[in-house]
Amino acid sequence: MNNLKKHPSSFRDPSGFVFEYEGKLYRQVNKRYADDYDLLLSSGLYDELLKGGKLIAHQALQQNLTGSNDWYVTLLPEQIQFISYPYEWCFDQLKDAALLTLDILQISLKHGMVLKDATPFNVQFVNGKPIFIDTLSFEKYNDTEPWVAYRQFVECFIVPLVLSSYKSTDFIRQLQLNPDGLSTSFAAKLLPFKSRFRLSLLLHIFLPNNISTRRKNASSARHTSFSKQKMLNIIDNLQSLIRTLKPRRLYSVWNNYYEETILSNDYLQAKSILVTKWLNELQGNIAIDIGTNTGAFAIDASKRYKNVIAVDADELCIDELYKKCKTGRRENILPLWVDITNPTPAIGWANVERAGFISRLNADLVMALAVIHHLVIGSNIRMKQVVDIFKHITNLLLIEFVPEEDPKVAEMLVRRADIFDEYNQQNFETCFSEEFNILRKETVSSSMRVLYLMQKK
Amino acid sequence: MLNNLLYIDPGSGSYLVQVIAAAVLGVAFYFKTFVAWVKSFFGGKKNVSDKEEKINE
Repeated sequence: MNNLKKHPSSFRDPSGFVFEYEGKLYRQVNKRYADDYDLLLSSGLYDELLKGGKLIAHQALQQNLTGSNDWYVTLLPEQIQFISYPYEWCFDQLKDAALLTLDILQISLKHGMVLKDATPFNVQFVNGKPIFIDTLSFEKYNDTEPWVAYRQFVECFIVPLVLSSYKSTDFIRQLQLNPDGLSTSFAAKLLPFKSRFRLSLLLHIFLPNNISTRRKNASSARHTSFSKQKMLNIIDNLQSLIRTLKPRRLYSVWNNYYEETILSNDYLQAKSILVTKWLNELQGNIAIDIGTNTGAFAIDASKRYKNVIAVDADELCIDELYKKCKTGRRENILPLWVDITNPTPAIGWANVERAGFISRLNADLVMALAVIHHLVIGSNIRMKQVVDIFKHITNLLLIEFVPEEDPKVAEMLVRRADIFDEYNQQNFETCFSEEFNILRKETVSSSMRVLYLMQKK
Repeated sequence: MLNNLLYIDPGSGSYLVQVIAAAVLGVAFYFKTFVAWVKSFFGGKKNVSDKEEKINE
């Protein structure tokens, strides 16, 4: 296996595995999965899913790249630009991923197959839409058996969505601590009493919770036969539950930023003109907008960059941007709920199964507009540390400096005399000049804020 | 490109849950059809979608 690296997250399924070879990700199908893989193609399921843009396309190669005895076929899937994880998604992203999974299950049943697992990690966002990426998740359907991945679906999708709906969308982040899902007993303890009167919650959360505490009797159910119609009824019920769930948010600091802020419209307009002008001379593959809010400038960048990753620490902002991109067909923006002062850590087996956010980043352009004061003053991150992280993830940097005289910053500085030496335009320029060449510098009219375009040395 | 496959022990209770849920939903389905029939019998509104949704939930 020279030049070949097994993907650290691909080890749980004996049907095959993902590996990296010459900069591309491949998937090996093992002999034991041969029948199911052939059925996926011969049943017409693969074609139907592909036509609907629901499953990642692949090219089958008759080349045993790994040299393993288990080899059946090698797949070269369409390459995904940026992998995101469910705990970086907003409510509507998780909801759409759940509906996609059920949709795929329904279509699979029509073709005599079934999903053998149902985890949000099998879904990625490509071109603004969720897409199923695990080609090896399908197996032959036996219509006397219930859905083998039902519990996994409930724990990975239903419980986080229901808790986000009844309690707070913060529960999406709980998937980072429990990537295998949140148990129904966890949900049953947290949900309000009135939720027991909702039939679908009674069936999918409170009933499993009751049964799991009396597990001994459960095995008798294996002898009770099931039917396709029964399974379709359950899927239908799960779908209507998911569709009616609305997010509940306890707080949001940023969503009315543009509407309620003391920042003037003239300033925003001037900044937008300047950013657009500079962007028009740039282009590339990946741009990242840090502190995107509801994505006004990410949308500008999406006209020049093939992929824009727009991150913000506020889930509501990301949700609004996601919906805006969905309806406005801004397909090349990937909004993610990430706090740049505390980015997603690496988690899972050996701490490598799911990579951290920063290690997944490799951008042509980073935009950090009206962010620097939050980092340096708000979060006490040293100017040099900010330079280090940007240097690490990008070549080009479009950054806005908000001077100490700015009303917003002045407000933040009232009780922070200690930071004056650190936070001023001169120190900003000195620190950044160590690693970057300043290509452009212009004051945004109607404000004292300054925009910089910098290139890594 | 990522797998996270959890193999669920079929005896873990998820089978029993689905057997019960399917039975309950089956009854709810007949009830729904019955309500729709009663409504149409008395010449009520043909659109019962609101009611259907409530029952489905």
